[in-house]
Amino acid sequence: MMSFEKALWFIKRGYLLQMSYRFDFFLRMFFMLFNILTYYFIAKMMGDAAAQYLEPYGGDYFSFVLIGMAFSGYLMISLRSFSESVRDEQMMGTLEAMLVTPTPTTSIIALSSLWSFIFASFRVLLYLIIGIVLGVNMTDANVGGALLILILTIICFSSIGILSASFIMVFKRGDPINMLLMGTSELFGGVLFPIEVFPEWLQNISRILPITYSVNGMRHALLQGYSLGELAPDILTLALFSIALLPLSLLIFERSVMKVKAEGGLVQY
Amino acid sequence: MKGCGFIGAYSIETENLTKRFVLNRGLLDLIRNPGRREVITTLDGVNLKVREGEVLGLLGPNGAGKSTLIKILCTLILPSEGNAYVGGFDVVKEGGKARSCIGFITTDERSFYWRLSGRENLQFFATLHNLPRSIARDRVEELLDVVSLKNRADEPFLNYSAGMKQRMAIARGLLNDPAVLFMDEPTRSLDPGAAKSLRDFIKEHIVMQRGKTVLISTHQMDEAEELCHKVAILDEGKIKAHASPNELKGRLSADSSLRDVFSFYTGKDFAQEDSKTMPFFMRRNGKRGHGLGMGMKRKGF
Repeated sequence: MMSFEKALWFIKRGYLLQMSYRFDFFLRMFFMLFNILTYYFIAKMMGDAAAQYLEPYGGDYFSFVLIGMAFSGYLMISLRSFSESVRDEQMMGTLEAMLVTPTPTTSIIALSSLWSFIFASFRVLLYLIIGIVLGVNMTDANVGGALLILILTIICFSSIGILSASFIMVFKRGDPINMLLMGTSELFGGVLFPIEVFPEWLQNISRILPITYSVNGMRHALLQGYSLGELAPDILTLALFSIALLPLSLLIFERSVMKVKAEGGLVQY
Repeated sequence: MKGCGFIGAYSIETENLTKRFVLNRGLLDLIRNPGRREVITTLDGVNLKVREGEVLGLLGPNGAGKSTLIKILCTLILPSEGNAYVGGFDVVKEGGKARSCIGFITTDERSFYWRLSGRENLQFFATLHNLPRSIARDRVEELLDVVSLKNRADEPFLNYSAGMKQRMAIARGLLNDPAVLFMDEPTRSLDPGAAKSLRDFIKEHIVMQRGKTVLISTHQMDEAEELCHKVAILDEGKIKAHASPNELKGRLSADSSLRDVFSFYTGKDFAQEDSKTMPFFMRRNGKRGHGLGMGMKRKGF
């Protein structure tokens, strides 16, 4: 019950802080619309030119890229939000005040990221609504399957984000996990174009990235209405990533906290 | 003691508490001297005992180790050696339980969310102290009343004056009705009038009415004399003296002041200490060594 109340307060805090910068909020929404429209017209220009690559995803580039952009947002948020919440609280000077309360450090960091995920979900919803308005067909969507993939995606990406926060905790800047995954996921993860475009040897890189399975499964669930059985390969792979990464990331984060407490650098940035 | 473990006679106890920091070195230095490891000792075998309801003033020059000691007792830093107990709980092994007994009042006004109101700030921190919503609401209202900020509670924190921010810090420190309060230079950023008013508030509301155990680090001798039952003089990581202000003064001469006591035990002139900003890593005698304030510029640990 207390955890629920804490979660609500962290969300309220995030909302109040976000709304105190209203101009920033509306600018972000405005330029998100620009982004979607850019790809809408690129898709219009392309027509059926990439049909051979897009056939497994329903054949339409705009639908393909819309899902890719919307859900890759979760990867960005997961990778950034934990480390950014550590750093933001350090810079604002509020981290120390929170860490002298009985709430464990891991809970504080996890709860601090909650608003970012809610905000990301709001953006995804807007992406999908605008997409539908612009003609993306999701009438056959398997919503249950999509939600399951979404939950696994968040667990899996968050684990990587917690690893990233561990680096920030210890080294303050220069997190290699974030840099490596952000760069490779956009290129190799099948966000903006199908991985089938790559030569076979480059596709192997795509296959070790969780985002590949996330956007792939999401497209199949939302655009083509695949059943749970048909979505199983993506779901199982994401589940395996989650099982391996979540305990590992929590363990490394705990160790990092102990290390910086010993070094006296918990609230330094 | 409310909400705390069995503590015997002492609310705060340290046994040979030592803290050493390994200094960060630049890349060039690491390449030139790969095997070298530079360590500074900030606390060196500190033994302290503070009884329940007692107010202990921690006096010491910049870099003496006051903030390090408070941060270890608040579980923000791990000690290198020795033990420390707050409210009967080991601060290393039982950090969560120790924190439930602690109120920490910092002078850093940045430790609040400036765009939230005073009331919202207090409610947020009350939740982190595991106070259920209804209790948190009542406690926040009570404390806003105590610190005379009820009529400004819905204004953003950024509108508050330095004195109001400090009173908010005190209200936050009392949210969990802690058995032990740590105050790190609570009047540092205040003008003399506001400092006096805050001292009166601490004496009247926190010490006399609520009977809290308080560990207060300060540079103000009059503050220490006015508030503290006992004073510990910390210098270069070591406790040089620990007794009541009158006892300490009595050890010198009949007309000596706490300022004289400070100079006697540290070998440093208080007036200079109070205003001097030390260069990085320099002790007052100009040598490199231990004694590095947590608030001072340093290369990072």
